[in-house]
Amino acid sequence: MTTSSVSSTVVIKPPATRKRWESWLIFVVVSLYFLIPLGATFYWSLRGEKDVLGFEAYRKLFADTNFLPAFSESIVNAIATIMLSLLIVVPTAYWVTLRLPKLRPVVEFITLLPFVIPGIVLVFGIIRLYSRPPLLLTATYDSSRVLLICVYVALSFPYMFRSVDNGLRAIDVRTLTEAAQSLGANWPAILFKVIFPNLRVALLSGALLTFAIVIGELTIALYMAQHTLGPYMANLTRSKVYEPSAMAIVAFAITWAAMGIIDFVGRGSSRHAQMIDTD
Amino acid sequence: MSYLSISHITKQFGDTVVVDDFNLDVEKGEFVSFLGPSGCGKTTTLRMVAGFEIPTAGRITLDGADITEKAPNQRNVGMIFQSYALFPNMTVAQNIGFGLGVRKEPKEMISQRVEEMISLINLEKHANKYPYQLSGGQQQRVSLARALAIHPQVLLLDEPLSALDAKIRVSLRAEIRAIQKKLGITAIFVTHDQEEALSISDRIVVMNAGLMEQVGTPFEIYNFPQTQFVANFVGSLNTANAEVSDPVKGLVNVNGVQFITASDIKSRKKGDAIRVSVRPERFSFVSEEKKDNVLDCVIENITFLGSVVRIQVRIGEAKFNMDTFNNPFLDLPKIGSKEQVTCSKEAVLVLDE
Repeated sequence: MTTSSVSSTVVIKPPATRKRWESWLIFVVVSLYFLIPLGATFYWSLRGEKDVLGFEAYRKLFADTNFLPAFSESIVNAIATIMLSLLIVVPTAYWVTLRLPKLRPVVEFITLLPFVIPGIVLVFGIIRLYSRPPLLLTATYDSSRVLLICVYVALSFPYMFRSVDNGLRAIDVRTLTEAAQSLGANWPAILFKVIFPNLRVALLSGALLTFAIVIGELTIALYMAQHTLGPYMANLTRSKVYEPSAMAIVAFAITWAAMGIIDFVGRGSSRHAQMIDTD
Repeated sequence: MSYLSISHITKQFGDTVVVDDFNLDVEKGEFVSFLGPSGCGKTTTLRMVAGFEIPTAGRITLDGADITEKAPNQRNVGMIFQSYALFPNMTVAQNIGFGLGVRKEPKEMISQRVEEMISLINLEKHANKYPYQLSGGQQQRVSLARALAIHPQVLLLDEPLSALDAKIRVSLRAEIRAIQKKLGITAIFVTHDQEEALSISDRIVVMNAGLMEQVGTPFEIYNFPQTQFVANFVGSLNTANAEVSDPVKGLVNVNGVQFITASDIKSRKKGDAIRVSVRPERFSFVSEEKKDNVLDCVIENITFLGSVVRIQVRIGEAKFNMDTFNNPFLDLPKIGSKEQVTCSKEAVLVLDE
């Protein structure tokens, strides 16, 4: 998000050799790649009633008493994950940029670990570790939920750290910090009045990615016996025909809505990032 | 005791000595420049005054108080950066009011001070704009206003003009100096540009490789450089290898041509290898007036530089540049012709290496 808004100050002219219709062709092919499966899913989801196209599958989906609780549980998990992740990642990335630039490769490596370790390995490791004293967290549903959120926080690190790090690189963190210090600002004032506002777009894009991961996550939630959207959807696929497609479309719509919100909120501060870049 | 006193400051990063025994007393209202090439320690010294670096040894006192180890936000200093460092998320007015805001000053007092500062830098029409909507020169003026709004005891400027284009650089330089004089504020200005330092300062500290080379008024620094480095770094300079031929009379031999110098070379022996330096503008043609040194020369090259014409002459085997003011009726010699140039013995400098 941040990188795209920064690089948008640079006008890239298409190579003279590429004709207009070629560009359009590429655009159409790529669009079809995304739109055909989406269209097919949508079409399928409308066939919930025999011989008529309609929203029967959606009606059934929302009428299912398990759907909304699973959905809201996933949303609450996502929000908790985002908050916790921001609290850990922003100060860490800020401090690494400002004081410990030599540690950056180490921190980058650590944040990449969730990519390297398969979810299934991760979840069994976690269950083994936290299912015995002194860290008995799998005993009740709620404590497992806390554990699940902590795992999601770790899963969000690669996205969150990269977004925040990009945001920090787009502004001159060190000089802005020093300017604020010499004007008499203490650390909370620097963080909340100078650094956070200038990272708004980066924080939002990190938050969006985290949101998307948590909403759709299946493996870990399933093995930790949590009633979130992922296991719900998997269960639906096994037992129903049209509702899973309706569910996919709903999830897709929510993701786009979230992106729209980020674009709307982020538009104000993307200009600032551009300015810093051209200094 | 002087207003700002930097005494015996040394700064080491690991084994590297960046600033070595820096000593300076600055009077209230004085404008002092630190001048030197990059890596000479001038910015590090400034940052120690600002509190961003803590000296390895030595003390800094400001208005009688020891501030050597005080945190930057506990000192009352205004800092101006090369990159302006305006807060991108705040308007001009919010930027200027930031320092007073974090000090929890009353709202009316802040808006009054902000207004005062905005009119000081003549940006009344831009008070509600964001930094990205301003030119570089305007941004740097906002940053000046922001630093001054908190009534700092010292204003620190870290190469504030280096990112600007030539015209703006000259006009903003004059503006900074005028505002500094008007407010009577003590200022330290770091630059690598000798013209900037000469034009703006009450005093200049010339630094090289962590050491202070010379401290003096711009006039002293330019006309009476004490070291070869200062002479070379400030202004342009001809330098030639020579040997001492009479230490008492001050005679030196430059490739077979005898020069007389006013520099003290009594401590040297006949035959010692030395270097002599002459500023290009100290030479003139004999037709105008004869001075202590009258030297036969051949005109090698003529370069037109606008207000100045630079003539390269060969005296014996050594080549020297000579600057003369341009005027439309100037009668320039032909290239290859033989002429005589002259300079006073004070113009011939023998400097410590």
